[in-house]
Amino acid sequence: MTKSIVFIQVHGKPDVIEVELSNNASVGDLHDALAKAGIAPDADLVVFIDEHDEHVQGDREAHIKGLKHGSRIHVSRCRKIKTSVHYLEHTIEHSFSPGTRVRTVKAWVVEKLKINEKDAGEHVLRLCHSTKEPATDTPLHELADPGQCSVCFDFVPVKRVEG
Amino acid sequence: MTIHVPPSQLMLDQDLAAPMFRCGEIEGKWHHIRSSWPHVIIAVSAAERPSAPSEYGFRFDCSGYRQIAPTAQPWDAATDTPLPAARWPNGKNIVPSIFRPEWKGGTCLYLPCDRVSFDGHQNWLHEHPNRLWQPSRGIICYLEQIYELLNQSDYSGIRGA
Repeated sequence: MTKSIVFIQVHGKPDVIEVELSNNASVGDLHDALAKAGIAPDADLVVFIDEHDEHVQGDREAHIKGLKHGSRIHVSRCRKIKTSVHYLEHTIEHSFSPGTRVRTVKAWVVEKLKINEKDAGEHVLRLCHSTKEPATDTPLHELADPGQCSVCFDFVPVKRVEG
Repeated sequence: MTIHVPPSQLMLDQDLAAPMFRCGEIEGKWHHIRSSWPHVIIAVSAAERPSAPSEYGFRFDCSGYRQIAPTAQPWDAATDTPLPAARWPNGKNIVPSIFRPEWKGGTCLYLPCDRVSFDGHQNWLHEHPNRLWQPSRGIICYLEQIYELLNQSDYSGIRGA
């Protein structure tokens, strides 16, 4: 049976865990893989594949949709991450799934605020009250404090390296 | 006979096999080409642009890894020589401020996470805290920055295009 490498990220934990799953893995296979990786089952924990909006559900035999080689499996207590973005005088909000990446949030900001391509290319999302500008493939739950289901960004100009 | 492997080399080898690096490899962001301590050559993929390659090679000097930041230069992996300036990445504003062939003879990138460029730029500590070297993250810290630069709208292809 063909196997895929997938990467598990747990909300509030910095490490990424690599595991192997068959291409047609079931919910039970996934739960077993999580348990083997030391992630204890918990009624409040929800599991998302990549940027999917819906979390993994069903009985042990149910097939997991959308799982592929290199997928990221996000384990979180949040079903959504409430995301706020400040840009000039605007503040916009939306609730994204925990696995949504920063680049998707940026694309949403650009579309929502009708920012032109040039300006979009010269701005980045920076965490509020911070100097951290996360890489664009960072999932939102990685940026939410443990126990929190929200993230706040400022949309700021990229600073050129000079001096 | 005991072969002594420097701790820095062991640490780098460990990071090149770690899930964070492998995750980037499987996602097509970068891949390890070869190592010859203290150097490692890694290719980083770039957004599609006319007459531009799909990836650029970089040779990292990882002496003192991870406590000491690496330094990296664009590299032609096929000929194992520095990448000629005409084939360096270019862009409108941000990318050319980092990929500067005239800086230090083209031996490093103008990034705060690069140890050679950081030397003499203490002001970067407070001006670019987000771009500094983070020993706890290792080579991923540098690779992510290159990947972001080569995959943003500012990137336009190669200088000589």
